[in-house]
Amino acid sequence: MRVSILAAATAALAAAPACAAEHVVLMENIAYAPTELRAKVGDTIRFVNADGTNHAVFVATRGHGVDLGMQKPKAETVLTLGKEGRFEVECVNHPNMRLVVVVTK
Amino acid sequence: MSRLSLGLAAATAIGSIAAGIAFAGPERVKYPEKFRQDFVMFNTVDRPDLKAVRLVFINKAADAEAKAGQPLPEGSILIVEQRKAKLDDKGEPLRDAAGRLIPTDEIMTILAMEKRKGWGEAYPADKRNGDWEYNVFKPDRTPNVAVKMDGCFSCHLNRADRDFTFTYFKNRQDRGN
Repeated sequence: MRVSILAAATAALAAAPACAAEHVVLMENIAYAPTELRAKVGDTIRFVNADGTNHAVFVATRGHGVDLGMQKPKAETVLTLGKEGRFEVECVNHPNMRLVVVVTK
Repeated sequence: MSRLSLGLAAATAIGSIAAGIAFAGPERVKYPEKFRQDFVMFNTVDRPDLKAVRLVFINKAADAEAKAGQPLPEGSILIVEQRKAKLDDKGEPLRDAAGRLIPTDEIMTILAMEKRKGWGEAYPADKRNGDWEYNVFKPDRTPNVAVKMDGCFSCHLNRADRDFTFTYFKNRQDRGN
């Protein structure tokens, strides 16, 4: 019986997904902070607009393309990282705002 | 040259300039009749806020001529076909195994930009997007005349260093050829 309980617990642990992390990126002084980020598949990035102007989360990198729309001051958006790869986040309004994201398994 | 011929030449020149200015506008960009045959899809952009997926196309002739890091060739046409995303029973977008939205066949709107030599000359410097012109079409491919193109010009002006494109120029740079 002990063996079967242990086996069941081990199987359950093995099946459980690894804890996803949330990474916070500030949009401040017309820049993302940080400007580089490493994350795992399943993690999320929370973008917080701390500026007094609109910003955006736009990715043109092929295979990762996404546009979360215009983000007003104090607003937050969340990007879920669903696949591996390297991509660049940019602000539609401010061409020099760039964030490089590297996602691994 | 006689006064008469000088006058005629001046009138012709003024007429040409006036015609160029008068015809500047979205109506210069037509929906490509052979879109399905003549274009290639090079990117997709999820729009979760709109519950939509944007499929991005370029005409094959321009794609063949384009080079990484160079302005797009004259005659380039970029099309964004915005389609409704597949939704779950709660009305939220479904995602595939890679976390991407799944486009349906239902077209919401079609955005187009086309580059022709001299098209930008009619616009002031603070608006001009090189020689690009914009238009928006309804799902039935007729122009959506309710849409003002000022937003297109002002937004794309932020990517002057990429020949005013958000995706294609960067995608070629990323590809390296």
